[in-house]
Amino acid sequence: MVNLLIEFLSNTGFALAGYQNIIMILVGIVLIYLGVAKGYEPFLLIPIGFGVLMGNIPVIRDFGLGIYEKGSFLNYMYYGVMHDIYPPLIFLGVGALTDFSAMLARPSLMLLGAAAQVGIFSTFLGALALGFAPNEAASIGIIGGADGPTAIFLTAVLAPHLIGPIAIAAYSYMALVPVIQPPIMRLLTSRKERLIRMEDPREVSKKEKMIFPIIGFLLCCFIAPGALPLLGMLFFGNLLKESIVAERLARAARTSIIDSVTILLGVAVGASTQGDIFLTSKSIGIFILGASAFAVATASGVLFAKFMNLFMRQKINPLIGAAGVSAVPNSARVVQIVGQKEDPTNFLLMHAMAPNISGVIGSAIAAGILWSFLGG
Amino acid sequence: MYGLDAISAHNGWQLSALGISIVFTGLMILSLIIAQIHKVLEFWDRKHTYWQRIKKLVRRKHRSEETASDLVLPKNVKESTHRFKLLIEQMGEPFSLPKLLGFSKKCGILHSRSSVNELLRAKLIIPDGNGYFLWNHEIEKNIKVSMKTSS
Repeated sequence: MVNLLIEFLSNTGFALAGYQNIIMILVGIVLIYLGVAKGYEPFLLIPIGFGVLMGNIPVIRDFGLGIYEKGSFLNYMYYGVMHDIYPPLIFLGVGALTDFSAMLARPSLMLLGAAAQVGIFSTFLGALALGFAPNEAASIGIIGGADGPTAIFLTAVLAPHLIGPIAIAAYSYMALVPVIQPPIMRLLTSRKERLIRMEDPREVSKKEKMIFPIIGFLLCCFIAPGALPLLGMLFFGNLLKESIVAERLARAARTSIIDSVTILLGVAVGASTQGDIFLTSKSIGIFILGASAFAVATASGVLFAKFMNLFMRQKINPLIGAAGVSAVPNSARVVQIVGQKEDPTNFLLMHAMAPNISGVIGSAIAAGILWSFLGG
Repeated sequence: MYGLDAISAHNGWQLSALGISIVFTGLMILSLIIAQIHKVLEFWDRKHTYWQRIKKLVRRKHRSEETASDLVLPKNVKESTHRFKLLIEQMGEPFSLPKLLGFSKKCGILHSRSSVNELLRAKLIIPDGNGYFLWNHEIEKNIKVSMKTSS
């Protein structure tokens, strides 16, 4: 009887927990707090935060409970992460949610989305310099794309052992966009530039919106076939939305599918951050590099907008360059807030959506390119 | 390996430069293409109008060629054509027919009424739709001259 009790007690979490589990549980609680109390990306941080709690409950090995044990419930959930099933499904929902009008009305703003991808490649170089292997460096660099699904998609292929820290870093920084971006935006622009008003975009016809996903998909995937799963689903979702006749499918994609997959992805990614795997010097490096990737991406977008102004007759407000980092629609909202602090009657949100969406496309193309360079 | 050595050893510079160039090129091409979509669609939507316009142009050209090839003016009218043209150039276009007849009489052009009638039939003088008339420069180039004279 006593032996049984001792055996039971030795199998409880209290006996098995290490300091790493405790730290990670605290991290999970912080993520949940940020999501619930601060409202930072609650749809992502709450599932991830709770996933961190689930993944750090110490369990006896070979009981079929841990996320890395074959046949466990968490392992099945993690399957979708490791085999790149969830990110494209999230992109399907994003496509069905997104209105590309702003971008179609002023295609030149797409270049800002391309400029912000400098953050990916500069961080790739930084990670190489810090001693990361090229495949790891590429996975870290993609954090600069400010796109969680893209980061997970590439990391699952190139450096699956880093999925936990990279996903947590990508989503945390996406949630912290309102904190990270404004100081950089203010530092790189003058008040006069922040006050620039942009002309209303032209009206985009329904036919244009319907044709774009097909042209966009074909062109982007011919350039970077590695981005096929992501861009294929993104543009497919958008076609469902714009074609009108498949409204029921579009509604499913932008509601039940994206919501279900977000839950599965968030919990699985969170649960993959077991203390002994997550708390390493590499993770600290990933977090530092991730922050710099965000900062460089934001700065690149803003500076490129200023560069474009040298040649454009109708000046653009350089703040919208910051929206090129993706993080749809958070970074566009940040642009709006920073712009309205200078002039409350200046509405930049609509204009910022153009680089914001092209940033999503750009980061997916960058992921495809890195995959084709390093995946072989 | 760390620092710049690590970057060089893993072809980091080349990969980054090529990567960002491809992203830029891709999005630039996409932006150029989507900038044309609305123009192509506008053309497609108005294809019937354009087609009708093209057909009308072809038909008009065909007709003017036909008219020009069928147009055989009597020799004396052909001679007065040149004088009428000079008169009209002086009067300015568009012009009124009574004024033209008045001027032609003053200038001593014989059979001015019948000559103007011939020019109208030959569509060398055409109405502008507002009660005035214009000189048809296109037809003028294709006039053939018959050997017979008008009575």
